[in-house]
Amino acid sequence: MPKISLWRMLMATGAALFIGLSASATDAQSMGGDLIVAQASNPPSLDAMVTTSQMSRNITMNIYETLYGFSDSIVPIPILATGVEISEDGLTYRFPLRAGVKFHNGKEMGAEDVRASLERYKAIGGTASMLAGVTSIEASGPLEVTLTMEKPFPGFLEAFASPRAPAVIIPAEEAAKPANEIEVIGTGPYKFVEYVPDSHVRLERFADYAADETHADIDGFGGKKTAYLDSVTFRVIPEPGAAVAALEAGEVQLLEQIPVPTARRLAGNSEMKVYENTPWAFLVFIFNLNEAPADNPKFREAVQIALNSEEIMAIATEGLFNLYHGWMYEGTTYDAGEIGKDRYNIADLDRARALLAEAGYSGQPFTILTDTQGPERNKAAVVIAEQLRAIGVNVVINQVDWPTALQIRLQDTGWSAWTLTMGIEPYLGPEALISTFTGPATHFRKADPELDALYAELVETADLAARKAVFARIQQRLDSFAPVIKLGETGLMQASSAKLEGFRPFRFPRVYNVWFAD
Amino acid sequence: MTVLRFLIRRMVSAVPVLFVVSLVTFALIAIVPGDVTAELAGAEATAEQRAVLRDQLGLNQPLYQQALRWYGNLLQGDLGHSYLLNMSVTDAVLERLPVTLSLAGLALVLAVVLGVLLGVLAAIRHDSWVDQGTMSVALIGLSVPDFWLGLIMISVFSVGLAWFPTGGYVPFSEDALGWARSMALPALALAFTQMGVIARMTRSSMLEVMGQDYIRTARAKGMRRHTVVFKHALRNALVPVITVIGVMTGVLLGGAVVIESVFSLPGVGRLIIGAIQRRDFPIIQGGLLITASLFVFVNILVDLAYGWFDPRVRNDR
Repeated sequence: MPKISLWRMLMATGAALFIGLSASATDAQSMGGDLIVAQASNPPSLDAMVTTSQMSRNITMNIYETLYGFSDSIVPIPILATGVEISEDGLTYRFPLRAGVKFHNGKEMGAEDVRASLERYKAIGGTASMLAGVTSIEASGPLEVTLTMEKPFPGFLEAFASPRAPAVIIPAEEAAKPANEIEVIGTGPYKFVEYVPDSHVRLERFADYAADETHADIDGFGGKKTAYLDSVTFRVIPEPGAAVAALEAGEVQLLEQIPVPTARRLAGNSEMKVYENTPWAFLVFIFNLNEAPADNPKFREAVQIALNSEEIMAIATEGLFNLYHGWMYEGTTYDAGEIGKDRYNIADLDRARALLAEAGYSGQPFTILTDTQGPERNKAAVVIAEQLRAIGVNVVINQVDWPTALQIRLQDTGWSAWTLTMGIEPYLGPEALISTFTGPATHFRKADPELDALYAELVETADLAARKAVFARIQQRLDSFAPVIKLGETGLMQASSAKLEGFRPFRFPRVYNVWFAD
Repeated sequence: MTVLRFLIRRMVSAVPVLFVVSLVTFALIAIVPGDVTAELAGAEATAEQRAVLRDQLGLNQPLYQQALRWYGNLLQGDLGHSYLLNMSVTDAVLERLPVTLSLAGLALVLAVVLGVLLGVLAAIRHDSWVDQGTMSVALIGLSVPDFWLGLIMISVFSVGLAWFPTGGYVPFSEDALGWARSMALPALALAFTQMGVIARMTRSSMLEVMGQDYIRTARAKGMRRHTVVFKHALRNALVPVITVIGVMTGVLLGGAVVIESVFSLPGVGRLIIGAIQRRDFPIIQGGLLITASLFVFVNILVDLAYGWFDPRVRNDR
């Protein structure tokens, strides 16, 4: 007897409740207009499957769609599928597909397109590991695809819905092409027109877009999407001051990110709307467990006790931050409550010095690796360095450009700690986050067998209460073993023209369901 | 005929220069840590995932093999394919060349016209308030960072007065007026610094020439001051200025990256800087070769210009 997921019933009920509301809301929304969005850099690729870049996601998630995606409350919901039937043994996932969905080239989406897209993802997808346990992808009907698993994977749907490098559906003909060589064709509300690197990416409303009528409104990555605008242009404006000037001059109507002080200035301007997109990411400090002095747990504890996270976050984020010790956002499903609070934002220098002495630290250089691209990361490194010097650590900062930092951090030696912002992983949930801390490719360069065992237990546990309990033990281990320190949570400030209506901050700028006031 | 022989000789001698440029670029790329797989695979990618990508892109081959392949393709007129832009290097550079040439060309014209005028004015009114005033303007030009000037111009002329767009490029072929409007502020911001250099150079060169015997003779013959200054003095005084202009053109062609960023112009400078930041090696290699070729070409033109300004150089050839 196949299980039918509960969310579908909930969605249907929700849709029924909101139908009246949406009808009246639609009246106020006007069609037409050209929106210009500014972002700081080029999308490295518009082949959504192969890139994990936020700059790509900002654009591609308005063009492509996935079978499943996250809702506003971070629960997997169907987008191009109508649901999923999971077999009792957890080995078969049958996805019925929505009928009448068209690609931007006019072709109607069928099971073969989905099969070919997922096969392509399995071969070259940015997070292809999520399909590693899938032994077969089969077009089991004209509008139905069946995935067979090697062994049960309770968190599969969450992994499958991940927008990190989304498993988007493209026409089968395109799916046969190598990475970055496809024509940009999706099923989303906007279709691709042109990309001029360092200048802009232009999209147009897709007139034949098949909206998901089971919803009343957008919901996370899915829901009922309506393209009100005639066109949307993502302009690449690298200089933040110039981007704000373009908004003030009316040449741009939406800024994907603005500096925090600028947001404060614009907040008083009646022609602008300012949005706070929080929480956005974790700012973390990762140790290299392979090299002294950070290989010593007592040394790491000394660092943990010395750090004044409030000071670090205030300076690194220019004031837009949240202090929370938990490895999941406060109040979310897996939040482990008070665990770890006793070692967070302590700033007890005497205790830290005593721990340092206990660790037998004798002045070896402690090299903090950071990069030039992320101001939050390099400012945090500077403040941490000062705080650790105060307890007698011989800190050296190695600030390099981003590709160099990524190269160095993959080496077993030559660095002691690294500042990193983790945006999408904590958003996706415990498995996505903890997977980066475990296994042979852990961020720490040396796996912790205890953490690895807990992660394996989490992956195999299906019951929610049991999963929460496992995660609480993971949180405990992260705090006592301290291979990584969570410094705090960052946010993102965004701004638009006051004429732009309906915009709601999210993991990417959703340019559907937004319109211009008359 | 002499000019043609000179041109051919210079073109031939440019080949080893460009070869050395490409060799040095290869060596620098080899030294710099990191590669494009960081951008392609993302921050969380494992060493193994990146190694697979590296294999696919041929980055694991020994450097000499990569170099031989690149030179082999170059001989067939192929500068390679960008890892990230999904287009050939030649197309990527040619697409941006009009932007860079527009910016550099306009900035150069503005800098030369204003710089030479200010320099001449300062020289003929030597030690007067005119001299001090014009040299102060030149000094401000030299001292003010172009990105700051650019932002101030955006704030005043784009946001405040709404005369010009804040950034972006409009191709000349699409809309000539739009092109002029989109280029006005960046070209002016870029020209201001260079204008300072040219004005100071012109002034000192003019002062030196004005003290020469032949100028005194020209004046003693009763020639009009205007003729003495512009025909006899300026033409000679401009020889060192032309050298500066030659070097400056190279800087403007490849180094206008800051202004390109401030005004969001998709030029060659930004292309190459973006490629360096993301380790898109074919773009770095090909882009620098094309920029170096332009630099060499401009310097050949400058050498030809010496001949026009100074007949002695022409005879020496």
